[in-house]
Amino acid sequence: MSSREQILAAAKQNTLKRYNKPDYTELEKQALTFDNKIEKFCEMMKAVGGQVAVLEEGQNINDVIKAHFPDAKRIATNLKEVTCLGQPQAITCATFHPDDVEKPGELNGTDLAILQGHLGVCENAAVWVKQDMEQRTIFFISEAIVLIVDRNTLVNNMHEAYKKVETGDMGYATFISGPSKTADIEQALVMGAHGARVALAILV
Amino acid sequence: MKVGLFIPCYINAVYPEVGVASYKLLKSLGIDVDYPLDQTCCGQPMANAGFENESKELAKRFDQLFEQYDYIVGPSASCVVFVRDNYSKFLPKKEHKAHKCTDERIYEICEFIHDIVKPTALPKAVSFPHKVSIQNSCHGVRLMHLSAPSEHTVPYFNKLRNLLSLVKDIEIVEPERIDECCGFGGMFAAEEFSVSAQMGRDKVERHIKTGAEYIVGADSSCMMHQGGIIEREKLPIKTCHVVEILAHGL
Amino acid sequence: MSTKHSKSAEAFQKNKEMAKWHDQTLWLVREKRDRQSKGVPEWELLREMAMQTKLYSNSHLPELLEEFEKNAIANGVHVHWAKDAEEYNEIIYGILKKHNVKKFIKSKSMLSEECELNEHLIEKGIDVVESDLGERIIQLMHKKPSHIVMPAIHIKKEEIGELFVKEMDTEPGNNDQTYLTHAARRNLRQKFIEAEAAMTGANFVVASTGEAVVCTNEGNADMGTSQPKIQITAFGIDKIVPNREALGIFTRLLARSATGQPITTYTAHYQKPRHGGELHFVIVDNGRTEILKDEKHVKTMNCIRCAACMNTCPVYRRSGGYSYTYFIPGPIGINLGMLKGAKKYYDNVSACSLCHSCQDVCPVKVDLADQIYDWRQKLDKFGVASSEKKRMSQGIKFLMERPKLFNFAMSAGHLLNSFPRFMVYNNLNDWGKDRELPKFAKESFNEMWKKNKVK
Repeated sequence: MSSREQILAAAKQNTLKRYNKPDYTELEKQALTFDNKIEKFCEMMKAVGGQVAVLEEGQNINDVIKAHFPDAKRIATNLKEVTCLGQPQAITCATFHPDDVEKPGELNGTDLAILQGHLGVCENAAVWVKQDMEQRTIFFISEAIVLIVDRNTLVNNMHEAYKKVETGDMGYATFISGPSKTADIEQALVMGAHGARVALAILV
Repeated sequence: MKVGLFIPCYINAVYPEVGVASYKLLKSLGIDVDYPLDQTCCGQPMANAGFENESKELAKRFDQLFEQYDYIVGPSASCVVFVRDNYSKFLPKKEHKAHKCTDERIYEICEFIHDIVKPTALPKAVSFPHKVSIQNSCHGVRLMHLSAPSEHTVPYFNKLRNLLSLVKDIEIVEPERIDECCGFGGMFAAEEFSVSAQMGRDKVERHIKTGAEYIVGADSSCMMHQGGIIEREKLPIKTCHVVEILAHGL
Repeated sequence: MSTKHSKSAEAFQKNKEMAKWHDQTLWLVREKRDRQSKGVPEWELLREMAMQTKLYSNSHLPELLEEFEKNAIANGVHVHWAKDAEEYNEIIYGILKKHNVKKFIKSKSMLSEECELNEHLIEKGIDVVESDLGERIIQLMHKKPSHIVMPAIHIKKEEIGELFVKEMDTEPGNNDQTYLTHAARRNLRQKFIEAEAAMTGANFVVASTGEAVVCTNEGNADMGTSQPKIQITAFGIDKIVPNREALGIFTRLLARSATGQPITTYTAHYQKPRHGGELHFVIVDNGRTEILKDEKHVKTMNCIRCAACMNTCPVYRRSGGYSYTYFIPGPIGINLGMLKGAKKYYDNVSACSLCHSCQDVCPVKVDLADQIYDWRQKLDKFGVASSEKKRMSQGIKFLMERPKLFNFAMSAGHLLNSFPRFMVYNNLNDWGKDRELPKFAKESFNEMWKKNKVK
């Protein structure tokens, strides 16, 4: 018998009582919701060590990015344009496409990556980002990231989020909530462990 | 309503005044209270140490002693909850029981007064012009729900505070780490004496930090442990059971 | 009356300053957890649903694992099954060997600690690099984690500073946490880029999608798996959840319980290999199906390894992770150790005052303290109960079953109060080392009642 068969047989044989799958309806009904989602998302983004900007009418997204990262030189994105308040805006401040490189390690030294967030969660400032390019390492290897999130995609909590998110064809997606961090040395919180040191969400 | 007073062994031997206060308090509340003679131990020390079997005969004896009472009431949350949570597995199922089982009739005295008697005032007005810090004991909080466990997301409540609030001129506080264990735990205190004693010192220190003159609680075993620390280190705080304050002047 | 745990705990307490720091630091994590859990009004319902979901999934393992496998294979994943640690190690080594991997980067996996994977691979000549900062520190010090979420919590920054001077060329004497963390970032960045394969554990695997979900704050799992094209993700069968709705529950509970964050920085969902790469899932039993048989302890399978039970445990905080003989310390470790080998790990069962805080804090409602109580009842049968505790329990039984004798003992008891101190407070009496003994009253309550003095 293969290990697979052995494990499955043992699991079957050793299970004493079979429990029913619980019904989450009541939980989902009671789960945290927020009257002002934009405000809550911004509050949580700051709480997790991130930065946040809400794009205003007439503002150009490139100006917002440049204002936050005036020193960024190597700026990566796979986005040509984003829809801001119903209007398309071209991303002009980026300097290269992350798939321009041969090997992912060559992306080391990227100052900033501009990424499409597909949904934002108000209870924890998590933004759903899915792989839509070859080199997903750009999400992590860049010194800073910008997450562009349509304000209309904000949801209250993770229950709502998981009902909506899709992973996409490349088979990888992640929630990102703020910058990379660690407290492994004496519980002192330090931003920028291995991933981005700075994370800015722009609500468009 | 006939109440049998349960006096745990160590209260009988070390803190008889807690037994006396319990009796007086219940009586003054108009309750028909009796003490069945020659009580010993509920069996918790052996069971917590891993020898539950050594408790079975004691459970039978306990059951017989208290057979005739509507309620069994004792001034020790830990002992009471041990009986409540364990005796059903020690005792043979009675077929034609006139009463509910022992484990269903037993109450800690503060719990009993708070939930069953529900007085709006003490029978005789008590003034206790002192600051007291509540000892929220582990078994009282987490097994008996005398107060909201700090781990849970539930609205704050504290039955000991509610009862003590019937006393005049008293100031009631609770320590930081509101319901952290004092480190007694029966034989744990001896087997893990180093950690246990440190838990005790930390607990007393946090009670002292509130500025209280007394540590008060519904578990004399926690008091016994902290009392041992206080005496050894000559610390400026005293211990007493909630009923000793409620029965003050009776 | 002592155990390996109590002796190590006593040694831990000798360094008062460190012991106090350890207690306070972990208590702060508990407080951070409280702020998060109390910010979620439906927290108790969330815990209940999490527990029920785990009871469901762990009692439907064959169906769920097969569903998971089917979906993973359809996604292009290689699925392996390991019945024990040996097979797990062999499978992973086999993958590395096939691709001639010499440089291997790992993110934290308690399963790999359980199976001692690193030792196995290093012996075979593979350069294994742990990438979680705490794990890397531990690895470079040739130590073991003392906590499952904060593996280096017992190490002071001065020691880490000294280590990094040697290993990462930092300035001597600069022990600033930010400086040291960023030095490790630079150092490990090269290791990520050079690695030829990357490995992670998993926090959850989802039957309906065939994906593995990995939660980190540092981003090390994702950095690793986005550099080399070979990815291995290995996990115990207990990590399975039915679907993404269930993930909604667990991702709300995990970080709040573990570190007091609303969610980890990264919650990665691995479904497919990268183009031109390979993704391997290794499904591991290693004793878990045996736990299913144990009615009293099957709920340990609910555990999501958040370590909230460690942070809240008054004994763990005051004795440190190394005082336990099993590689997972604290309340969950006591229980998992007993399930792994009761006769080997029974020393940890003493490390509990039965305060029950662990089971109230547990996000998946494992009845940790009740289980420790239950293990204590079994020690005698295993032949490993403390003989002193047994004698004492029998002594109490003997006395308490004889009320006359007990009454006599109480009446004689107060004579003890006047015993010379050296007879009462000696090395044979562990209570008396740090505390005064309770004093017997002149007259017991029973005696007073008999004499009609209680009125």
